[in-house]
Amino acid sequence: MSLIEFYARNGREALGLLGQHLVLVGISTAVALAIGVPLGIALTRRPAWRRPVLGTANVFQTIPSLALFGFLIPLPLLGGIGARTAIAALVVYALLPIIRNTYTGVIGVDAAVVEAGRGMGMTDGELLRLVELPLAVPVILAGVRIAVVVGVGTATIAAAIGAGGLGVYIFRGVATVNDTLILAGALPAAVLALAADAGLGALERRLSRR
Amino acid sequence: MSPTATRRWCRATRVAVLLVSLVPACRRGDRIVVGAKNFTESDLLAELVAQQIERRTALTVERRLHLGGTFVCHQAIVAGEIDAYVEYTGTAFTAVLQHVPVQDPDSVWRAVAAEYLERFGLVWLPPFGFNNTFAIAVRRADAEREGLRTIADLARVAPRWRAGFGYEFLERADGFPGLARTYGLRFAAPPTAMELGLTYRALADGRVDVIAGNSTDGLIPALDLVVLEDDRRYFPPYHAAPVVRRAVLLRHPEVERALAELAGRLSDAEMRRLNARADVERQDLAVIARDWLAEHVPTP
Amino acid sequence: MSETVLEVRGLGFARRGSDGSSQSVVADLTFALGRAETLALLGRSGSGKTTTLKLINRLLEPTAGSVHVAGQEVTTARGVQLRRRIGYVIQEVGLFPHFTVEQNVALIPRLERWPPARIAARVRTLLGMVGLEPDTFAGRYPDQLSGGQRQRVGVARALAADPPLLLLDEPFGALDPVTRVELQREFQSLAQHLDKAMVFVTHDVREALAIGTRVGLMQDGRLVFLGSPGEFRSCPHPECRAFLEAL
Ligand SMILES: Nc1ncnc2c1ncn2[C@@H]1O[C@H](COP(=O)(O)OP(=O)(O)OP(=O)(O)O)[C@@H](O)[C@H]1O
Ligand SMILES: [Mg+2]
Repeated sequence: MSLIEFYARNGREALGLLGQHLVLVGISTAVALAIGVPLGIALTRRPAWRRPVLGTANVFQTIPSLALFGFLIPLPLLGGIGARTAIAALVVYALLPIIRNTYTGVIGVDAAVVEAGRGMGMTDGELLRLVELPLAVPVILAGVRIAVVVGVGTATIAAAIGAGGLGVYIFRGVATVNDTLILAGALPAAVLALAADAGLGALERRLSRR
Repeated sequence: MSPTATRRWCRATRVAVLLVSLVPACRRGDRIVVGAKNFTESDLLAELVAQQIERRTALTVERRLHLGGTFVCHQAIVAGEIDAYVEYTGTAFTAVLQHVPVQDPDSVWRAVAAEYLERFGLVWLPPFGFNNTFAIAVRRADAEREGLRTIADLARVAPRWRAGFGYEFLERADGFPGLARTYGLRFAAPPTAMELGLTYRALADGRVDVIAGNSTDGLIPALDLVVLEDDRRYFPPYHAAPVVRRAVLLRHPEVERALAELAGRLSDAEMRRLNARADVERQDLAVIARDWLAEHVPTP
Repeated sequence: MSETVLEVRGLGFARRGSDGSSQSVVADLTFALGRAETLALLGRSGSGKTTTLKLINRLLEPTAGSVHVAGQEVTTARGVQLRRRIGYVIQEVGLFPHFTVEQNVALIPRLERWPPARIAARVRTLLGMVGLEPDTFAGRYPDQLSGGQRQRVGVARALAADPPLLLLDEPFGALDPVTRVELQREFQSLAQHLDKAMVFVTHDVREALAIGTRVGLMQDGRLVFLGSPGEFRSCPHPECRAFLEAL
């Protein structure tokens, strides 16, 4: 059976899985942003935290996904099986690029500009909100871009824990040695990753013009 | 190209051709190559086979473990890259010979043995005894509380229970759909599709109540699970046996005699224990095989 | 001297090295400045000029002495409040690259929640004052300006909230000599009708003599001379002579 035939016959199901996939990546990226950006900013204020925090995020990222699910299943709040656990795992993987790029972006803002702001009487908060963050946005966005592209790929393993997504086709295909099925999941995931990369890349370029 | 260079080139080619023609001569002779698929049980059985050959014959054994899936091993043995590996009757019947799954162990065995010999020149030696088929497993405490022994018993409590199954089990013709029909199984919710290894965790942590593992999985004793009996004989047989190239057996009949000693020596429970030593206790395969051979196949 | 805007008494600053030893960067500074007075703070590179400015607006905490701005001891004021009443042009200008000229100049009034109309009017006045045609320049970004134009914006930005005291750290550094003289001249006339106290840091003796109503010469963190430009010309101190020879 060709891929086109497959989609023609299973269009609704495929769209449903694609939707689940987008939700998994969307929510996990949002949560990773909500945690990672403040944490990255905190690191610029507390240099001593940098090594332990980035080191921890780095270690988390090297945990193989199935092993991470293994750790997560018994956990009370995040754990179990299903979308919540998959999102927790995806957040763990998305954190490093976001924390690291937030840190790099903020720390990399021209020292003269920060000093001028402080010298004019801006508070820490104003400086962060009006100067440091806006100037760091392109770098932060580059981190988000990495996180999303990796997330789209990694979200295929959400199917390992009953959370759906395009990985369902891949897992089914692998289990039944069915190349069409594998492609039916892998191809849209790849297209999605490329689209996210291109879209966020364009946004990044637009924002870094200034 | 200068004349000297051409001459040197020709000589080099001649030497190369000579070397290549020597290869089969050095590979063959008194060396047996044993392969394995890419999972622990296959590696472990290959190691058993290899050590048994080494104990009983003068042959040198080369191990090519963890090669790949069924397809890779099959291609390798047909091409003569390996001389032997351990295959499962059900897998050979459906995946290699492309037959529709059949429940009767004897007819599967006969079909597989005959067709392998005829089509590929491969010999199925007597099976080890265990049957590595799907195993419907539950927690021991649940089984005891509900008095579950068979899958038919499970059908009684299923409407209150949750199941987590691997994709293969959910998709295969001889997997869940047929099982549900045969036993009238209906769970509280559609079974959650998960990676096989994680279903064990989910069961152990009470996230699901029923899983479908493999009957010889080391995790079954390690997690204190109970395998429910397939009382209606739904699952096709997956008996493991050494598959060896006929040419090798003709040249070295002592191999067949050596491996015959292993026939029927491994029960499901015994295989589970060996797998547990490898997967759960992380012991060395060679050590596990040596211990087991010393105990169960003593040298007279 | 009219009412005192800035009063510096025995001001000193020592850095604590990593080995625990303390190293004096600035010591024993004493001077006072009234309205419409400009102190040209002259000194070689590394003599402590920038450090002195940062001690006045408390970007650095003094380790000795006191600073009063408009009668208030600076250590009793909140740093942020204090700095909003002191205009500051840093050595590297430091315009916000993601803000237009207008947004750069309007920053402090905006943070002080001036009504938008008043901010807009103020920005136009200031740009005019520093010689930048508002209609041409208000909407530009810093990377669309020449170095001299950027420094003019820096001055306008420091004047935005009409602070009584202005600290300028080599505002005309890194310019060609012709433009530099032109800016100095404009600045002089600006200073005359602005009626502010200013500390103007420079290492250019010509600039110091042209702009300062008074001249202070720093050497190794200390004021070795403080007086009128006329007095400076006849100062016998070797450091003064060294600078005068450069004339
Ligand atoms: N952050 C710092 N850490 C250590 N030493 C510093 C620091 N900033 C300045 N210094 C030192 O303090 C001294 C005074 O520096 P300052 O910046 O006040 O000099 P300056 O007179 O402004 O020089 P320039 O004309 O080159 O700008 C110098 O010796 C300098 O090396
Ligand atoms: Mg300086």
